Amino acid sequence: MRLLVVEDDPLISRTLQRSLSALGFSIDAYETLAPARDAARQGGFDLILLDLGLPDGQGMDLLSELRQRNDLTPVLIITARDGVDDRVRGLDLGADDYLAKPFSLVEMEARVRALLRRSQGRSDNSIRFGPLTMSTSGGMFTLGDTTLDLPPRERGLLESLMLHAGKVVSREVIEGKVFGYGEVGSNALEVYISRLRKRLTGSEVQIRTLRGLGYRLELTDAG
Amino acid sequence: MIIHGKLRDRLLGWLLSMMFIVGGLLMIDAWATSQRSAQRAFDNQLEDALLAMSEAIQWQDDKPRIMMPPAALKILSTRHQERVFYRLIDDQGRVLANNLDMPLPPGLQREAAEGDVWHDMRYQGVDWRLHARSVRSAGWERQFRVQVWVGHTTEGREQLARELMIRATGRMLVMGLFAAMMIFITLRLALTPLKRLRHQLRRRQPQDASPLSGTMPEEMRELVETLEQLFARQGESRDALLRFTADASHQLRTPLAGVQNAAEFALSSDSPTQWHQALSDIHASAERTSRLAGQLLNLTRLRHLALPTEQDALDLADLLRDVVMEWVDHDLARQHDLGMAELPSQPVCVIGESWALREMIGNLIENALRYTPAGSEITLGLGLEAEGGGVVLSIEDNGPGVDPQMLERLCQPFERAGRQDTDGSGLGLAIVETIALRHQAELQISNRDAGGLCVRIRFARRQP
Amino acid sequence: MKFTPDRLRAMAFAIVASIVPTRACRVTSRLWLVLWAGIGMVSLIQPAMASAAPPQARLVIEAAMDRQVAAPLLAAFSRRYPDVELDYRDRSSMAVNALAQQADAQADIILSSAMPWQVALVNQGLAQRLDSDEARQWPEWAKWRDEVFAFTFEPIVMAYRLDLAARMLPPVSHADVLNLLTEHAETLAGRVVAYSPSRSALGYALYLQDSRYSGRFWKLVTALGRVDATLETSTQRMLEGLSDGRYWLGYNLLGSYALQWAQTHPDIIVQMPSDYALISMRTAFIHRDAPHPEQARAFINFLIGREGQHVVAGETPLYSIRDDITGPFTAQSLRDQVGQRLYPQPLDASSLSMLDNARRNDFLARWFDAYSGGAPTP
Repeated sequence: MRLLVVEDDPLISRTLQRSLSALGFSIDAYETLAPARDAARQGGFDLILLDLGLPDGQGMDLLSELRQRNDLTPVLIITARDGVDDRVRGLDLGADDYLAKPFSLVEMEARVRALLRRSQGRSDNSIRFGPLTMSTSGGMFTLGDTTLDLPPRERGLLESLMLHAGKVVSREVIEGKVFGYGEVGSNALEVYISRLRKRLTGSEVQIRTLRGLGYRLELTDAG
Repeated sequence: MIIHGKLRDRLLGWLLSMMFIVGGLLMIDAWATSQRSAQRAFDNQLEDALLAMSEAIQWQDDKPRIMMPPAALKILSTRHQERVFYRLIDDQGRVLANNLDMPLPPGLQREAAEGDVWHDMRYQGVDWRLHARSVRSAGWERQFRVQVWVGHTTEGREQLARELMIRATGRMLVMGLFAAMMIFITLRLALTPLKRLRHQLRRRQPQDASPLSGTMPEEMRELVETLEQLFARQGESRDALLRFTADASHQLRTPLAGVQNAAEFALSSDSPTQWHQALSDIHASAERTSRLAGQLLNLTRLRHLALPTEQDALDLADLLRDVVMEWVDHDLARQHDLGMAELPSQPVCVIGESWALREMIGNLIENALRYTPAGSEITLGLGLEAEGGGVVLSIEDNGPGVDPQMLERLCQPFERAGRQDTDGSGLGLAIVETIALRHQAELQISNRDAGGLCVRIRFARRQP
Repeated sequence: MKFTPDRLRAMAFAIVASIVPTRACRVTSRLWLVLWAGIGMVSLIQPAMASAAPPQARLVIEAAMDRQVAAPLLAAFSRRYPDVELDYRDRSSMAVNALAQQADAQADIILSSAMPWQVALVNQGLAQRLDSDEARQWPEWAKWRDEVFAFTFEPIVMAYRLDLAARMLPPVSHADVLNLLTEHAETLAGRVVAYSPSRSALGYALYLQDSRYSGRFWKLVTALGRVDATLETSTQRMLEGLSDGRYWLGYNLLGSYALQWAQTHPDIIVQMPSDYALISMRTAFIHRDAPHPEQARAFINFLIGREGQHVVAGETPLYSIRDDITGPFTAQSLRDQVGQRLYPQPLDASSLSMLDNARRNDFLARWFDAYSGGAPTP
């Protein structure tokens, strides 16, 4: 897999290159926007790591150029810690995920892998998360080798969790997807969650409750 | 600041206008006075002439006779050689003496029978002034009355009035010129204190916080005092910044020194385990220092920036949920049970800066995550006040809490309440406090009865 | 108010001085320029208008002055203004007075020796003001309101035939006349002539003046009555009578005529009174409705100017008023002769008192009473 790294700080760039190469990726790294733009135009990358605070032009511009060309290469933007606006704008412009500086390499690797998995999963017409696989077309779920036979509601629930695997999904969103937007008792969702949990016991995935927020599909060994 | 006009021109304009108005009024008064004086002077002549004439009335056989005295006519004519008129009428209405056919209105004749009459009339195209009086004589058997009329043309008095007016006007103009000159000079002198102040301020160094020197008039006292207060505040602000910078650089130097030591040690050793250890230490320090630097920058910006100008109305509930949702996916939060209490169903509207409130909540959550052990519960919530119309943002944990004695100082920069076992910078709560102040919100930190720390921030609500 | 250049300049100075303190701005300095320009123009126009020569025209003079006596003056005026046709009408003073008061007088100059009547006419508003350098320079006592001007200074004299001198000591003063009339009443009976106070304006005025200067005046009137003095209406007739031999002594004659007469009639002696001498000043004014005002102005200016006064001083015994003229007949030479006791009638409003009916009637009654021998009322 080829990754494009656009980062102006030489130390961070070097470290990124080394750690990502160690994972088996082939890395093209640039410290300024102009050559990076040319490289991106040529295409052929599976992921782009883009630092928004580049010296010779906003990284945002590269991102918007990319998306205007209908180039759907996954982009992971690197933002300053307090750059909420940058982050929001970047995501609006079409970035797939963000990473706030300073970041730990572990986190960076995890996100890169998640993004690749997602895009791969899409191209495969299926989404994978740990042992779970979901086919995007048929709505078929497999846990390891076993096919899960799910009633419609549970299917909707698992789908919404899988689409944001590893991230919190708010309660309202799940309820909307599972029950439609009518009135529903607070316990209704709990029931389906516990049913789904039962199916997943003993596997490497779990559904974690986040109080007052929603639910998250996690890998059980994820720290 | 818009510059418009000069103070001196305004003063000058106003003063000169006033002077002209006063001058105009004086001129009107001078005109009136001139008229009156001239009138009086010449009327006196009429009176004298009438007197001279009435004294020449003789009584023979109880009939009045007048030997017109030349002197009376000379007085009547005055120095200005007016044309003269006289008429004497007895109490039967018969004319005793007359020199011109001036038509006297009967009403006036009746008036003259009672008292003094003064009358202006136009005769043969010329203005005349007439005066009449009844004079009595004591006869042996009865009293006789003779109406004496005198009059003359008014050329003399008109000329006198004009001369008086011109003289008065000339004098006033000279005085006016003089006054204008004095105004010019006085203005120059009077505005000198302002000029002096201007020079002083111009020469002042930007860092100078000392009071202004020199004598100033009373009216400028307020201005000067305010300026001095401003300078003093600026000085204090700068001192605070210097102190903070000193503290900050000290705080930065410590971990960096640690990094240096670890690296030195690693370079002098050839044991990979020790290198590993050293690198691990360096990594930890680097992380801390990086975090500290970020926090310092935030705090500096918040404390020394200008007052918030872009405050909008926002929904605190939405914002809180946003921030918590973000943090819950954080690596740091993986081991903790970060959650939210049930939020109010209606929107909670406050005035504030979005980025600052996010920063504040973020710091609170980060603090809670760092200073509580893994598995602790951290809960955020919004509570509407029953009375007072405010809303309380709260974050509670079931961790170890803080030593009560250190609670007060918790918001001081670099204060860590004795906890060196975590990777906090000590600036988190300082930042939180600053942001709360910016939003006129009250911060309260306390230990929970059940154990753990509770931080409450009270905002005033606005109508959506 | 008349806008003479002086007044305008005064006003302009006042206005300009008030402009100086204010900040000079374009508007005020333009105003200032306009003001000065205006003043300049007015100053130029004024003198131009004044010095325009009178065009060809007439001049009507109604005069109570003998043509003979006036001749040199008129001739000199005609020499100066040859284009002006002079219409000189010689009348009695009362006729002149009456005419001036007519609605359509058609007269330019009113000239008379009856000063109180002239003053009365001016007081009625029948005169025009004369605004000229000559008028401004004329002495104050010889003009009234700058409208009527006295241009002669004629002494009132006594005249007698040589016959009288042969028989008695001729009179030199007023007292002498009284003494003569008293002591030589029979000799002088029917041989004395004087003015009639009722029929001659001048005569009345002179008697009135005389009455002021001496308490013995009334005695003189009684004396005149005792010698049955003839009361004439003009100096001319008195002189004729003296030359004819009808009269031996004349009292209060106009010195100008008398002196001129005496030049051609050596048997008549003219005597200037030594104690005091009355002065009769002939006056002239421009009629309000004058049909030829420019010529009239020129005439008066001529009369009181150097040229006219020169004639008055030299050619006619009318006696010039100006001090700077030398000649035999000047006020100064009179003073030299008689001394300081010259009593001209004051040319002002006080002379109107003479015209007062009551006063006049009273005086005349008293005069005729004294003349006919009654005891004079004090």
